[in-house]
Amino acid sequence: MAYAIFVLLCCNTVLAQELTITGTVTDNRGIPLPGTNISVVNSTKGAQTDFDGFFTIEANKGDQLLFSYVGFLPQTVTVTNETKLEITMQENVEGLDQIVIIGYGTSTKKKIATSIGTIRAEDIEDIKFPSIQSLFTGQVTGVQVAQLSGRVESGFKVRVRGVSTVGASQEPLYVLDGVPLINEDESINNSPINPLIGLNPNDVESIDFLKDAAAAAIYGARGTNGVVIITTKKGTESKPKITLNTSTGLNFTTKKRDFLNAAQYIELYSEAAQNSGVSQAEIEARFDELALGRDWRNGEVDTDWQELAFQESVTTDLNVAASGGTDKAQYYMSTSYNKTGGIILGNGLDRYTLRGKTDVNITEKSKAGFNINLSKVTIDRISNDNSFISPLQSVAQSPLTPALLEDGTANVDGNSTLYQNFLGQEQTGRFVTDIWRTTANIYGDFYINDHLNYVSEAGYDSNRQSAERFSGSLTEFASVGGFGTVSTANTERYILTNYLKYNTTIGSQFDISATLGGSFEETTRASQFTTGQQFPSDDLQTLDNAVIITNGGSNKTKYNFLSYFARSRFDYANKYAMTLSIRRDGSSRFGSNSQFGWFPAASAAWTVSNESFLSNSQFLSSLKLRASWGITGNAEIGNFASQNLYGLTSYDRRIGVSPIQLGDPELKWEKTTQYDFGVDFGLFNNVVTGEIDYYNKTTNDLLFNQPVPGTSGFTSIVRNVGEMENKGIEVRLSTNIISNSDFNWNLTGLFTRNVNTLTNLPSGDIIDGVNILREGESLSSFYLYEYAGVDSDNGDALYYINSVNADGSLNRDTTNDVSQANRIVVGNPFPEFQVSLNSSMKFNNFDFAFILQGEYGASIFDQAGKFTSGNAQFFDNQTVDQLNRWQNPGDITDVPQARLNEENGQADSTRYLQNADFIRLRNVTLGYTIDPTFSSKFYLDKVRFYFSGLNLLTLTDYDGYDPQSTADFNGNSGVRSGVSFYSAPPAKSYTFGVNVEF
Amino acid sequence: MKNFKYIITLTLFATLLLSCEERLDIDPQQALTNEDAFDTADKISNILIGAYAQAGQAASYGGQITIITELLGNNGELQWNGTFTDQAEFDAKNVSTTNETVAAYWLNSYSIINQANIVLDNLDVFENESQRNSVEGQARFLRAVTYFDLVRLFAKPNNGGINNLEDGVPIVVNPVTTYADIEFPERDTIEDVYNFITIDLQEAALLLPISNRDLASANAAKALLARVSLQTGNYESARDLANEVISSGYFRLESSLFDVYNNQDNSSEDVFAWQVTESDGSNALNTFWATDRFGGRPGNPDISIENPFFGIFDTFFDARANFFYVDNETGSGIATYKYISGVANIPYIRLAELYLIRAESNFILGTSVGNTPLNDVNIIRTRAGIFSLTSLRYVDIILERLKELSFEGNKLHDYRRLQIPIGELEYDSPRLVLPIPQRERNVNPNLSQNDGY
Repeated sequence: MAYAIFVLLCCNTVLAQELTITGTVTDNRGIPLPGTNISVVNSTKGAQTDFDGFFTIEANKGDQLLFSYVGFLPQTVTVTNETKLEITMQENVEGLDQIVIIGYGTSTKKKIATSIGTIRAEDIEDIKFPSIQSLFTGQVTGVQVAQLSGRVESGFKVRVRGVSTVGASQEPLYVLDGVPLINEDESINNSPINPLIGLNPNDVESIDFLKDAAAAAIYGARGTNGVVIITTKKGTESKPKITLNTSTGLNFTTKKRDFLNAAQYIELYSEAAQNSGVSQAEIEARFDELALGRDWRNGEVDTDWQELAFQESVTTDLNVAASGGTDKAQYYMSTSYNKTGGIILGNGLDRYTLRGKTDVNITEKSKAGFNINLSKVTIDRISNDNSFISPLQSVAQSPLTPALLEDGTANVDGNSTLYQNFLGQEQTGRFVTDIWRTTANIYGDFYINDHLNYVSEAGYDSNRQSAERFSGSLTEFASVGGFGTVSTANTERYILTNYLKYNTTIGSQFDISATLGGSFEETTRASQFTTGQQFPSDDLQTLDNAVIITNGGSNKTKYNFLSYFARSRFDYANKYAMTLSIRRDGSSRFGSNSQFGWFPAASAAWTVSNESFLSNSQFLSSLKLRASWGITGNAEIGNFASQNLYGLTSYDRRIGVSPIQLGDPELKWEKTTQYDFGVDFGLFNNVVTGEIDYYNKTTNDLLFNQPVPGTSGFTSIVRNVGEMENKGIEVRLSTNIISNSDFNWNLTGLFTRNVNTLTNLPSGDIIDGVNILREGESLSSFYLYEYAGVDSDNGDALYYINSVNADGSLNRDTTNDVSQANRIVVGNPFPEFQVSLNSSMKFNNFDFAFILQGEYGASIFDQAGKFTSGNAQFFDNQTVDQLNRWQNPGDITDVPQARLNEENGQADSTRYLQNADFIRLRNVTLGYTIDPTFSSKFYLDKVRFYFSGLNLLTLTDYDGYDPQSTADFNGNSGVRSGVSFYSAPPAKSYTFGVNVEF
Repeated sequence: MKNFKYIITLTLFATLLLSCEERLDIDPQQALTNEDAFDTADKISNILIGAYAQAGQAASYGGQITIITELLGNNGELQWNGTFTDQAEFDAKNVSTTNETVAAYWLNSYSIINQANIVLDNLDVFENESQRNSVEGQARFLRAVTYFDLVRLFAKPNNGGINNLEDGVPIVVNPVTTYADIEFPERDTIEDVYNFITIDLQEAALLLPISNRDLASANAAKALLARVSLQTGNYESARDLANEVISSGYFRLESSLFDVYNNQDNSSEDVFAWQVTESDGSNALNTFWATDRFGGRPGNPDISIENPFFGIFDTFFDARANFFYVDNETGSGIATYKYISGVANIPYIRLAELYLIRAESNFILGTSVGNTPLNDVNIIRTRAGIFSLTSLRYVDIILERLKELSFEGNKLHDYRRLQIPIGELEYDSPRLVLPIPQRERNVNPNLSQNDGY
């Protein structure tokens, strides 16, 4: 009976209290949030909002309803008699509590004590960028990004906290969804190709820069240059969402330079000839040759070669993605097509990508997932900067030279053209590179008990590249009947990673987590090439048509890493946090005597604002003090750099073997010790937030091509010598100036200062071209004669002698004989500081964002200056400023007298060195989103139109094409830096696009 | 049960990783290491071929030695039209210590020497004596030829031994195969260097077969020693060695100049030539001396021949005065026919030179070993299609050398041994001597610099 009463009572209660609650969930702008999870706390009941944000759920009075949606603060509502609810979700804007990816796991910004810079999709998704690295620009302190040149495939220099190495790679380690990416340049013509060119920027969810050693040390022997962790988008527990992005853009060069026209050319060179004792008849005969018999006296020919080298082009981009999922499985899939037109004649690319990512809860206690990315990129390439047929080198041709003959074919007459006419290559040549990239990974996450998980991952990366180059009848290979090259390179990497994750709470305040694991990674590379010559026709370009196969070869190489790692984190009461980690790395690249190394790190943080004495501060809403220390390595040296090697050669078609390398069996990774001290703070309820970091990085055992006496038969050996230091300060200040439902404005300013010093260089100065490595100076400092202007009496170029006087001062007398002068260190190619200002504004349905970026303190040396601005020593066309040459005694100018075929001021001096300071309007985007209540009538969640401008404005005093464009052929050199040589400027693009979500 | 699961997990975990450790030892697939590079006769023979390949590179015998020498020796006979500043410095006799062509030549030379030294240090792997002798002789030949050009270009002239005790170049005899082998040598005296060259060539002449296909032979060693002897004023030795090679019967003058140059196989008068094929070797002479129609750089040509050169000819009909071309109707600079193919051997010692060495030596000594000086000179003139001389002055022999051996890297050395100024520069001007490369002195403080730098 009692039982019956009990049941009855219960039923009665249920019957009496259960309500059907309906309502809508919107964000703070009133836009419905489909897929919001609603659950009844302490029950299994749950529901999701539909397409219009509408939901229905059964609940009892007094129950708690929990509303949750990714990126928004969860909200709890107690059920009362009200059965219609209007829920407005608040975005989770608190900057100090974002998820950060830390390598083998995640954490939140609040809990870490290290310096990690994060770019999230929402920061960048409204902005249009051509490549993944260009996303980084001006977004994270301590990261310098420079595209080598305006070629569409051009490589980037990404430097995290300065340059920490000379002899090894200076690029950070890229980790894509757990797979350390192959990042070797496979270009066949010394103009680096961006190794990440196949990544679709639209797929990126977040990018985390592990900047300090404590963060990067978990990647041990490869952490010194920083680690960039790229995480791609994944599906969430929501209804299917399809996004469509499409855009069209126009590309132009950011800059053209002013060169002499035909009349000015004739004037200057007639004068130069006269000054050098060349008769008027002789110089006119030369003009006749150049003009190919055309009547230059009457202006029949005036070629603007620069105009021929540049082109205006179109970029189109189409991207479709679908994502969604249930509580059991989530998916994300996307495909894209991109066609980027180059700003240089003959340059452009097509990119196709395909990505799929799935996460599945296989059982209650295990989760698994895989993701795969396929891409193909086809690039129409051009020669590197140091080639006569590089289009931009054609500015050296005389304006008297006709570019084309009457029949439209390129003028390749050897007397008329000073250098091979690039249009001949354009007309009878072809240079195409195809790149196929596959990156995939699969993981299982097994739940062992409440505290322990076991994660196993397998990753794979493959970069396959094929390059075909043909030079036909109007090229420099005409004399051998045309020349063809086919080459392929295939690099594959697999990585197996296993780790255990443990976490527990002791008492109520003490959190402990630990990770323990290991990985094995192996990379193989195989390449082949074949060359042939004598082709019957320019139309038959494959090597089957070559009469003679002149050369061929294949090459295989391999290296691997075996690593163990452990990390533990302690957190007490959200006030005190500490992380300790250690990694042991072994690599086949290192000498047999030092194959393994340890890479420890420690960091600690104190969240002062969580102490009771600050908890009520109105002014200081958050404050965290951080300190970290760690050791990282750099292992990007040759695969067999520690060995004495002998390579194949041949003579008279006989096999020969020659020594190719001396090795040091003691060779090991570079060791970088880094300290970091940081403050994170929020003011006025986090309306203003900021981070300030000071760091000091010391690299010991610098991997170096140490020069050895040439009398040994060798020039250098890779050894661990020397020491380098990078010190710097990074400041990020963000403010949410205005925040209400109609108008939201965020402004972020970044400031980075880095000072690089070579603190120890036992081998003495190392001079490489115009760059020098000298103890006490910055890496790659410029080492030049100092130009002292022009002797106003006779027009001679003058140089400061700069010999060292007995008292240690420099002899500031001048000389017109450069061999009497001495070179000195003048400036370096690295900026003293970088700044950027990012603004993003949302006003009703409009959004407006811009990025201003600036660098100060770097210098750039124009190696081509002696040719393009060398007061007419050679017949190369000159920049118009050379018309300011000295002409009569008493003239005051810095351009020496024009003298044909005589050196007068063209030595590698400060005459061709300039400040590369600039401020650039990197990006401007203006978007308009159609009112969702209107677009939803067409079943569209979001429709946004935008206009985006890239590199619209650059303010600089630099006279060359661009203060960031440097010689691409030095792109992989650790020492030669900051030198430009007919280097192409970046593109300026205007893009119009549409984003649609449904 | 629960423990069992742990054990499985951890075991799996450990085995996945620990089994990998031995995989860290990887050997390269394109290169040999010290352990396996010297252990058989074949491998040492391969290193010898490697030394030839090294010597054949553009930086040295593949062209730049000749280009450096000709431009340094130029007094208006040539014009440099190219844009490379290194070569412009040679032409201006104003070479900087950082000239990269000089540095590359120096480095290449010692690389040849090191490879020869490695071969000479490992001769005990040969069981076949004749094979061993041939390999040793060739290594000595290559080492000698390299030192000879080094000492001629990096040291003072030594006609009659006047500068015997001045700085020559460092003599390195120990092979460098590991880092520990590296030495920091000083410069040996010019006399020591010449003695070293002489011994190597005398040994080579004894060890080598009289003919050795396109590789160094006893005849080549003798011919080179004849040239060395002439350079140092040892006329008996020069005469006798030249005579031995001429009378060996292995060589004869080609009847047409066109058969002398641009050959893929040695001509019948090549005593030694650097081999260039489509797949190996390089011929930078073609790049710099030919117009672009024939594979040269578009300086058209980078090195053109100017009117003063033609002053040495006594008749317009001399085939050697007509061995030139200009390209197309507007007229390029004058270019020599000697280097119109990029896939052609580079003659180093020709029979014609030996006739002229014998003639000069006999003339100085007043002897007629082999033939009279007049006859020897007339043999050369006859091939050039011009009249024979009836009497001979010393200057006629020198003029004949200038005509016959033009642009082959001889003029500078002839002027310096005969003490003839090059334009305004005295024969012993420091500006006609290359500087020790700065990079070399940066690394090795024991190296002294030449006067004038």
